[in-house]
Amino acid sequence: MTDDEHETTADPTGDEPAVSDGGTASDGGSIVDDDFPADGVPDTPHGDDHGLPPTHSIRRWFVTTNHKDIGLLYTVTALFFLIFGGLLALLMRLELWAPGADFLAAGSYNQAVSAHGLIMVFWFLSPLAFGFANYVVPLQIGAKDLAFPRLNALSYWLYLFSGILMGISFFQGSTFNGGWTMYAPLNMPVYTPDIGGTTTVLALILFVASATVGSVNFLTTMHRMRAEGMTLRRMPIFTWSILLTVWMMLFAFAALLAALMLLSSDRLIGTAYFAESSPGGAMLWAHLFWFFGHPEVYIVFFPALGAMAEIFQTFTGRRLVGRKWFIGAMLLVAIQSFVVWMHHMFLTSINLEIKTLFMATTIGISLPFDLMVFSLIYTMLKGKIRFKTPFLFGFGALVLFILGGITGVFLGAVVLDYTLRGTYWVVAHFHYVMVGGVTGLVGGLYYWFPKMTGRMYDETLGKVHFGMYFVGFNLLYFPMFLAWETPRRVFEYAPALTGWHQLSTVGAFLLGSSFLVMFYNLFKSAFVGEQVEGQPWDFASTAEWTVPSPPPLENFPGVPTYASGRLEFEDGGSAQTDGGAVHGKAAALPGSEVTETEHGGGESHASIWPFVLGAGAFLVLLGLSGLQRGYFPEGTMGGVHIGTAIVGGVLAFGSLVAMTREKFHGPEGPFGESWPFTTVENTKLGLWIFLASDVILFGAFIGAYVFSRVAHGWTDWHHLIPEAHVVLPGLINTYLLLTSSFAVVIAMEFAKRENRLGVVGSLVATVGLGVGFLINKGIEWQHLFHIHTEAFPAGWDPGTNIASTTFYVTTGLHALHVIVGLVIAGYMIFRAWGGAYMGDDEPIEYFGLYWHFVDIVWLFLFPLFYIV
Amino acid sequence: MSRTKLYTAIYVVLFVLATAQAVVEQAGYLEESYWLAFWAIMVLSAVKAVVVAGWYQHLRWEPRSLTTLMLLGLLGAVALTVAASYSIL
Repeated sequence: MTDDEHETTADPTGDEPAVSDGGTASDGGSIVDDDFPADGVPDTPHGDDHGLPPTHSIRRWFVTTNHKDIGLLYTVTALFFLIFGGLLALLMRLELWAPGADFLAAGSYNQAVSAHGLIMVFWFLSPLAFGFANYVVPLQIGAKDLAFPRLNALSYWLYLFSGILMGISFFQGSTFNGGWTMYAPLNMPVYTPDIGGTTTVLALILFVASATVGSVNFLTTMHRMRAEGMTLRRMPIFTWSILLTVWMMLFAFAALLAALMLLSSDRLIGTAYFAESSPGGAMLWAHLFWFFGHPEVYIVFFPALGAMAEIFQTFTGRRLVGRKWFIGAMLLVAIQSFVVWMHHMFLTSINLEIKTLFMATTIGISLPFDLMVFSLIYTMLKGKIRFKTPFLFGFGALVLFILGGITGVFLGAVVLDYTLRGTYWVVAHFHYVMVGGVTGLVGGLYYWFPKMTGRMYDETLGKVHFGMYFVGFNLLYFPMFLAWETPRRVFEYAPALTGWHQLSTVGAFLLGSSFLVMFYNLFKSAFVGEQVEGQPWDFASTAEWTVPSPPPLENFPGVPTYASGRLEFEDGGSAQTDGGAVHGKAAALPGSEVTETEHGGGESHASIWPFVLGAGAFLVLLGLSGLQRGYFPEGTMGGVHIGTAIVGGVLAFGSLVAMTREKFHGPEGPFGESWPFTTVENTKLGLWIFLASDVILFGAFIGAYVFSRVAHGWTDWHHLIPEAHVVLPGLINTYLLLTSSFAVVIAMEFAKRENRLGVVGSLVATVGLGVGFLINKGIEWQHLFHIHTEAFPAGWDPGTNIASTTFYVTTGLHALHVIVGLVIAGYMIFRAWGGAYMGDDEPIEYFGLYWHFVDIVWLFLFPLFYIV
Repeated sequence: MSRTKLYTAIYVVLFVLATAQAVVEQAGYLEESYWLAFWAIMVLSAVKAVVVAGWYQHLRWEPRSLTTLMLLGLLGAVALTVAASYSIL
């Protein structure tokens, strides 16, 4: 095959029939070809910055809400955490040079092991992928920005502050030292008593908050804000991988949030979810953690897979072979990922039937991966490979993933798992998969570096980096397969295995030093590298390469459309859409059209409040970390903790209020393609998506109750509950909440009729009933706390037994939701009094979606905790 | 029927169903036939939830994709609860 045969790129936008001869797209689907730039791309990219400070101003990076800036912030911060986690790994490898704790103290080794895992999985891997996602996805789908730019900035700041909180935990006695999986009962204060352990858990909660906000934002954006003609079927493969990743994140992280909140309750208040005295406590943690944990493997790996697929297409000059099957396989894995979690629990006391079932689902999940692997291999065979640095890393990732995948199948088989679980086989397999993913993402870093910086990296140094990386990687991890009998997480091992471990340590330092080459290369190239135009690669086929490098603030020179089968940009016109397809080349962006004319300055790109809110949340959790068994420490430290939490709370609340008052205009959409949420406005969709994750959160809380009750004996549960715990308070609260829900829908009706007093009165009734709900609950709790019976001589408080724990914590979470709703409703009363909502019931409807959801949850809590 | 009347009728139905749940317990059906009463009470909760979601949250008039979205979340929560509980039986 000649080079000429590759001059037209693979079809980037479509799922058109695959070409069969090695990369010549036949259907006009190319975005980028020899005629680059694509139609309509101007030579002068940078326009008005809408008040956003220039990039050399430090202030810009605190206020920016632009997706490309946020992408850069994510990428740089994630690389910092790579260094953090990597240094901890090197400390571990030095310790393992010989058996025994002869380098680090035993406790320090445990901290290094635990923190390394947590930092790499949470604070490095996914955030690096989301650096790319932030930068590239809006460009690939033809959007100016994400749907909620300030929430995007908030995601980043919550992420950064969660990482800082994690770092601070090292200075509070010790960070969490019970392993990255935080298994119970090691995660209880009796075994990990340091405040730093609690801070680690709270840091993870903050991280999950960041991930949830990000998921809602990306899902709304990708479903609602695609350009005309950019159907789901036509979406670039990297964007597909991110779409599936954020769907998995939405549900999986909600389960982790539930697990972490229950653990925080145990550590801060002294409840008994995971206590040894609670039946099934350790198993409960394992179920909740791995329900999140296995999808997390794919959450981490999918973006790498997407980056690899893009890289393979670009550097083979060939569209991905079996593209739609590849996407289908990813979709299948995303679904299957939620039904394999118990293969992590084969060594626990779960029954044989469920083990067998989960063995089958686990083996089953390898099949779609086989398809993806063959697709990538066949793409190489059908194309002509150019061995640039991104491809080398992409190819290396494929090789490593194949090895990691095959060795993982061993662990999916129950009988083999009995032998291999808890050994270095798992460590080696896990790192081949996860760091295999890192390899793909490093390929992505080199691939998109010219787009992000406008300059090319040094190719020779890139190849040196790959050589050192690949050799170092295999020298580090492959000996672990050979020394598989080494027990996991401990520094003792059989002396006969010392040689393999020393080889691993040498490999670790080689791998680590390879990153020094990368940092030098990228840092230097970012300032003095060869300048590049929009498209530095010959056969890149996605939309980000059609705009200058780096792209202008609002990405495109006009309205992007794929209606003709290739990307074109149109000037604004008068045609508006109804949320469906835009018709004709004169069509305009409805969102931008409105914004330009109504607000005079286009979309906003700056707000300080996400940063302040992130800082406030950080201080609240830092303050709360001192809480133990419901009490802050005596003396000055207690005062410092309380003060920190109060200051944080004021900052957080103040910034929330400020955000509601701030005039900020984000892109509204739709821009042409919004299936399957065509008629659902952005904010409403975002709210519904958030509620879906809240279903999992409450579902996991209720699931924890059901599981604990089954473990104890369902019908014996009543012995754990005092006679004084009766139906009536629950029934009264059901009436109160149902009536408050009714008041909200009536408020909507008054708003439609533009009856101001009616709206205000209905909302006041809603708040009054909600407050009544809380007062009734408070009276009930006070009564139960202070009962004195033979069975419960010291009252029935949250730590009395597992029944009281589940009751107070689950209904307490619900009460917190009520309080949040009351704050929002209070604000709306204030606005309604001033004449808001007349003829516009949407804000009340959106509040109602949340309030009715809280009502629905109570409809299940009432029978479960008061009747049955 | 106007929306206001519809909402009011739904409110009355919800109120009655909640009362019925308490009546099942007060009448001693849980002692007589625990699991029958248990499922009756839970079905009543499910009916109330569907009514609130369908009419008060307007899911009935929204695209089916939103209902599917919520059902996906519900499916995940139920799968976790049922499978985890079954695993220790």
